[in-house]
Parts: sequence; structure tokens; C-alpha cells
Amino acid sequence: MTTTHMADSNTQAQRILKQQDRNQRNFTLKVAGWWVVFFLFLVFLFSGVKIDLGPIHIKTITMDQEFINEWAGFISGGVPQTILISFLSIIFASILALVTAIARLSRFSPVYAAATFYTSLIRGTPLYLQIFFFFLAWPQLGFEPLPGFVAGVVALSLNYGAYMSEIFRAGISSVSKGQRESALALGMTNGQMMRRIVLPQALRFVVPPTGNEFIAMLKDSSLVSATGFVQEIMWRATKVGRANFHGLEALLIAALWYWAMTIIFSWLQSRLEQRMSRGER
Amino acid sequence: MTPIVKVTNLDKHFGQLHVLKDVSLSVEPTEVVCIIGRSGSGKSTLLRCINFLEQPTHGSIEVDGLCVDVEQARLTGEQRQVLHEIRLHTGMVFQEFNLFPHLSVIENLIEAPVTVKGLPHDQAIALAEKYLDQVGLMFKRDEFPNRLSGGQKQRVAIARALTMEPKVMLFDEPTSALDPELIGEVLEVMKQLARNGMTMLVITHEMDFARDVANRVLYMHEGEFIEEGTPARMFSDPRDPRTRQFLDRLLRQ
Repeated sequence: MTTTHMADSNTQAQRILKQQDRNQRNFTLKVAGWWVVFFLFLVFLFSGVKIDLGPIHIKTITMDQEFINEWAGFISGGVPQTILISFLSIIFASILALVTAIARLSRFSPVYAAATFYTSLIRGTPLYLQIFFFFLAWPQLGFEPLPGFVAGVVALSLNYGAYMSEIFRAGISSVSKGQRESALALGMTNGQMMRRIVLPQALRFVVPPTGNEFIAMLKDSSLVSATGFVQEIMWRATKVGRANFHGLEALLIAALWYWAMTIIFSWLQSRLEQRMSRGER
Repeated sequence: MTPIVKVTNLDKHFGQLHVLKDVSLSVEPTEVVCIIGRSGSGKSTLLRCINFLEQPTHGSIEVDGLCVDVEQARLTGEQRQVLHEIRLHTGMVFQEFNLFPHLSVIENLIEAPVTVKGLPHDQAIALAEKYLDQVGLMFKRDEFPNRLSGGQKQRVAIARALTMEPKVMLFDEPTSALDPELIGEVLEVMKQLARNGMTMLVITHEMDFARDVANRVLYMHEGEFIEEGTPARMFSDPRDPRTRQFLDRLLRQ
């Protein structure tokens, strides 16, 4: 079959596809335009501008520029902490999720029960409580008190691990029975089959949703600020906001950071997703 | 000659379903045996019992002198060890190819020799290239499976099984998932294999292949072998009415 022959028989279809492409591009451009409009409106709302048009007086929200100049740097200094907490937690959570997912595939009852018990307990209680548990209740169990940072990472890891085990379980079961059977028929042990055949394929399935979990974690990491000892974005914003009675400005700066990080990491994640799906399937 | 595959009084139940009923079979070295029969007659299950992808309910399986006699549902550690060795001596080709999609063709071939047998990488590559050449696909060496046609995938799957240097090859309807125009190339590779003296147990609906290559044809019906013979005799003069009915329908297509 030659390509020219294909092209001839497909010109009509190609025209339609091209038109659809154009429509889609136009729509995307319009959406982007509206985003700019909404964003500018938001900026205007907080610009402090006063407009007098005869009988109509419009007064937008005024912010204390001096406060912003003084404290924006301090609040932004929490960004590395926020990313570090989220990054460490997503790694530990992934390990926990993998172990839990494998345990949930076990037909050995105590192992299966341990996995379901853990996920039920964690999913049945609030993340906020879990963070405080490792911070406040921990010493009462007879252990050395945990620093706020450690308590936060432990709680976030356990919490996300429980939710993400479902993703990993789906990833593992997305690998077909035929794959397992041909691995076994070639003489692999169960462990070899899992390591060499099932997990590498499951991983491709698991990476994109794990990216989403990381993005959610960036924001949930703000709960760790409640321990009062972790200098991430939220802690810094509330601290200076309260002290100076400028919660609005402080929280807006924090919000912009969370939003920006979400947009950046979402973009990275969609790039990653495209690369994974282009792989050999 | 001692048989290379010996199945004795094999029973297999799936819950209430009695899939294999006291089946016995033996295959001599270099022999090519074709099993025919309707879908659901148990032929696939029998093949899968030989390398324990299905565990028989009871009966014994012997491959190249390695014997597992199944008496109860839970195999002993020693039996599992033997079972594992049986798998090392049997190659299997599936209807759905089951190539590993995350590995290139050559990686598909060396995976088991390296991981399972601990063969050094360069030796495994040499071995893999030999068999890849044998199935005529050296030019696809570094492609990924999704870039191959169905026929090419199945030829790679055959080469992958051969790279473990098995004593017997099990084929579970190797051409049933293929477009008609791709069946020929796979059968050609299988014929070549038979001519080279490989012992083969083949489930197939390709009567021409059976006629050309098989030493024996067995007809399975509802979990039992009800007739066997040379392909010439089976196809021209089936004695059991059920065999005749099956062949009539197949040959009329």
C-alpha cells in the first residue's frame, strides 16, 4: 500500500480533520483570552483603584503595599519547604502504596487483612487529625517527640500511601493475565515475574496519576503548618499575617504561590503523561 | 524410546465442571502431535496442565523424566520445584502471542535466559540472534512488539520460547488470532521446527498443517480423546461419528 494512494482516498477525511483541528485551536485561543480577562479582573479587584463616574463610586480592595514589600520575600521563602515536604512524602507514599497494593493481591489472609486494615483506618480519619496524632499524641505512646516536619511527612506519607494503593493496585491488575502466564511458562518465579514483567508495565500506568497526587499533596502540605514548627508557605503567611493584622495580603501571596506551583507541576505532569503514552504499547 | 511427555490419568475440574476426564497421552521425542476438537472440549486446558499453568485436579505429568503426581490440591515444596523444572524444559506459544510490550524484540528473547537461567548477557544475545534468524526476523531485532504484524509477533514468540532451548514445544492455537494472510508465515516456521526434530504438541484448526507435519492427530471431545490416528487416516476415514461430524464441518468452511 503506497502513501499516495492512502492520501488520495483520505483527502475528504483529512479536510474534515483539519477543519476540526482549526476549530479546536480557535476555541483554545478564545479560552486563553478569557483567562487573561478574568485574571486582569482579579488584579483590578485588588488594585485599590477608586473610580468616580458621576453618581457611581467604585472602590476596589486596597492592599498594604508596604507590608507586601516587607514580607513577600519571607513568605516565598517557604516554597522550598513546601516542595521538600511534598516530595519526600510522595516518595514514601509511593513505596507504601506499592507494598500495600501487592499485599492486597495476596491470598494469604493476614497479609491481605493488614493491607485493607491500614487503608480503612487511614481513609476513615482526617489528614489533619493524623498530622496532629504524630505531633501531639506520639510522645504519649512513649516515643521521643517528633519534630513538626517529621510528623508532617509521616502523616502525609501514610495518608497518601493508603489512597494511592488503589492506583498501584489498578496498575498491577492492568497487566494482562497473558503476560503473567507467558512469564511463568518461560520458567520465571512469581517474584521474577513481578519484578521483570508486571511492575515495569504497571509503572507506566501509575506515573501520571501519581503526578496528580503530588499536585494535591503540594496543597495538603499546608496542613502541616498547624503544628507551628514547620516553616512552609502557609505557616509563614499566617504568622506574619496575624502579627501585622494583614491576613489578606499574606494569604494572597501564599495563594499565588500554591496556584503557580500547581500550574507548573500540572504542565510538567501532562508532558510526562504524553511521553508515557507515546511509549511502546 | 521413552516418551518426552507423558500424561497419565489426568483429571481437571473447574468447580462443578469436569473439563478433563481421565486423559492419558504420551509423546515420543521428535514426534509432532496435533490435537483437534471443538472449543470448550478441554484441549487448551490439557496443554496448560502440562506446564502447570493450570493445576490438574489429579493425575500425573511427566516431562523429560521429571514427574509430578498430583494427589491433593496443595503441592509439596518438592513438587513445586519439579514443576518449575518442567517449565524450563517446555516452551509455550499462546494464541495471543503475549510478547512483553515494554521490551524490544531482542530483550523479549533474552529476558528469560538471563533472569531465569542466569546466562551471561552476551551469550544470551548470541542465542537469541540465532533463533531470531531462524524465524527470519533479524531485521526486527530492536523494534518494539507494537511495531510488528500479528504474524511477526507470533514468530518472535516462537523464537522467545526456543531461546530457553526446551525439549518440547506446546502450541495453543498459535494461528487463531491471526488474519488469514498472516497464518502462512507462522505455519512455515513451525514446519521448519518440526523438520529440525523438535517435539511438538499443537492445538490447531489448520488441517493442512496437521496433514503435512503431524505424526499423529488426536480428537478431543468433552474432555476425552475419542479417536486418534495418522492425519491421512483421520481426515480421510474418521471412524467415530463425532469426529466425522467435526471434520465435515471444518473442511466445509
